[in-house]
Amino acid sequence: MDYTQFTIEKLRSMLDQKEISVAELTQGYLDRITKYDGTLQSYITVTPERAMADAAAAQKKIDSGNAGVLCGIPLAIKDNICTDGIRTTCASKMLEDFVPPYNATVMEKLAAQDIVLLGKTSMDEFAMGGSTQTSAFAKTRNPYRTDCVPGGSSGGSAASVAASLAAAAIGSDTGGSIRQPAAFCGVTGLKPTYGRVSRYGLVAFASSLDQIGPIAKNAKDCAWLLGAIAGYDPHDGTVSKRAVDDYTAKIGKDIKGLRIALPKEFYADGIDAEVRNAAMKAAETYQAMGAELVSCSMSSLKYAVAAYYLIASAEASSNLSRYDGIKYGHRSKIGDTFQELICNSRSEGFGDEVKRRILLGNYALSSGYYDAYYGKALALRQRISAEYAHIFESCDVILTPTTPSVAYRVDENITDPVKMYQADICTVTVNIASLPAISTPCGYDASGMPIGMSIVGKQFDEATILQVADTYEQQFTPIAPTL
Amino acid sequence: MNLQMIAYLAELGKLSFTPEEMKKMAAEMTSIIEIMDTVKEIDVTYDALADNKNVYLNDLREDINADSFPTEKILQNAVQDENCFVVPKVVE
Repeated sequence: MDYTQFTIEKLRSMLDQKEISVAELTQGYLDRITKYDGTLQSYITVTPERAMADAAAAQKKIDSGNAGVLCGIPLAIKDNICTDGIRTTCASKMLEDFVPPYNATVMEKLAAQDIVLLGKTSMDEFAMGGSTQTSAFAKTRNPYRTDCVPGGSSGGSAASVAASLAAAAIGSDTGGSIRQPAAFCGVTGLKPTYGRVSRYGLVAFASSLDQIGPIAKNAKDCAWLLGAIAGYDPHDGTVSKRAVDDYTAKIGKDIKGLRIALPKEFYADGIDAEVRNAAMKAAETYQAMGAELVSCSMSSLKYAVAAYYLIASAEASSNLSRYDGIKYGHRSKIGDTFQELICNSRSEGFGDEVKRRILLGNYALSSGYYDAYYGKALALRQRISAEYAHIFESCDVILTPTTPSVAYRVDENITDPVKMYQADICTVTVNIASLPAISTPCGYDASGMPIGMSIVGKQFDEATILQVADTYEQQFTPIAPTL
Repeated sequence: MNLQMIAYLAELGKLSFTPEEMKKMAAEMTSIIEIMDTVKEIDVTYDALADNKNVYLNDLREDINADSFPTEKILQNAVQDENCFVVPKVVE
């Protein structure tokens, strides 16, 4: 029996019933990583010794009858989340040898649940990209077709779950970096409300947009993971003190009467017909279950990519100024003066896309351009948030395609930054408006590549979008990739 | 976007480029700015007073003294000497 294919829920039952041991389960994943990750490149760092030590500790908890829901579950963690004593590279030469002196709060919370850490997954450098091809160390491939990208920036996390090289994974999402790779790899990914999960120990990209969330085989597993990582943290002043919900509470409940908004701009030209049709078909499925479909509009969508890239790059240019080659990170061997050392360290350590974002951010914030770019982007942020608020006055959730297309070949798009940016059109507004959203598979195109749909909820209403995603998953038969 | 602007932005970001890299970056940034220019079409301005509070900062912790990281942990990723970061000479 290949238990690596199972959901967390099924594994929980098997571990508690002693049908398998945590060590057997962990070894099963490690064996698959050895067998398949040479091709897939989903991990930057695999931690077999740590995993087996975690497995032994978790087994003791299970044997003593004190196991929590994630006890003994082997997980992968995106390599921009700090792990005490384990290299955290952010897929950048800048942090190639960086070993954090502390755990991110998310890691502390997961460790308290006795998870098994399998390793650190690849990503676009500093989470800037949608293909995982800007990674300096592991250019992850899509498990469904290895000549295609897995999406990004959490491409390693999504690919590892899709290929069953981890039971589930943790990613981060600044403009779609959990949902888009989840859609490309045929798995379920949740971007929580801004402020739901602590960002302490997450390598900062755009601090008003970044949020950590789970990628798993289904919505229920995401609910369990979110319950484990959500909640107040004194180390992050942007985290809400709001109580953590039971995110499984609404799962399995009837969606009759639920009002689902379909903003027409998300179904317009620019979205591939197969993707659009799959999302529409999913909407009709909900309708057949008793939900009500509501047509609506989000007129500011055409400005969203520009507003997002201006805000995100402005914040990134500030956040990345900390990399000076002095305190940590790549230090150039060339540079007689303080200024030269900093400039050389940064120029050698950062990749091209990161440099583009720094230049763009500096441009948006510089004297003479601030009002025309950054100021307008902030105004658009208010307008987009207001448009979402208006839709939610009469609807419970919003349903859109997650991406304009299915996963593309590794040699497409990635050399053209403009095309890459425009591909984020379906996901960025959720971050701009601080909302929660989940992507779950809703079909496959003619070549068998997964198609994802996004369900967007009201702030802190993760329980409803998890319920709605689960409802669809219950009648959908996913097709696993053939490795 | 011209080479002079790229050089200015690179200086702000403490980055250096070869002449070839500058040309490539100027071409890419010109295309990127064309997309960004769409925001100029809107006729609203940012109103800080009407901000919808996308970012909450009202749940700050109490200001209480707590243990800091040990010096050796802070220095573990740096070039160090006698418990200090090592930098090029900054004072003549």
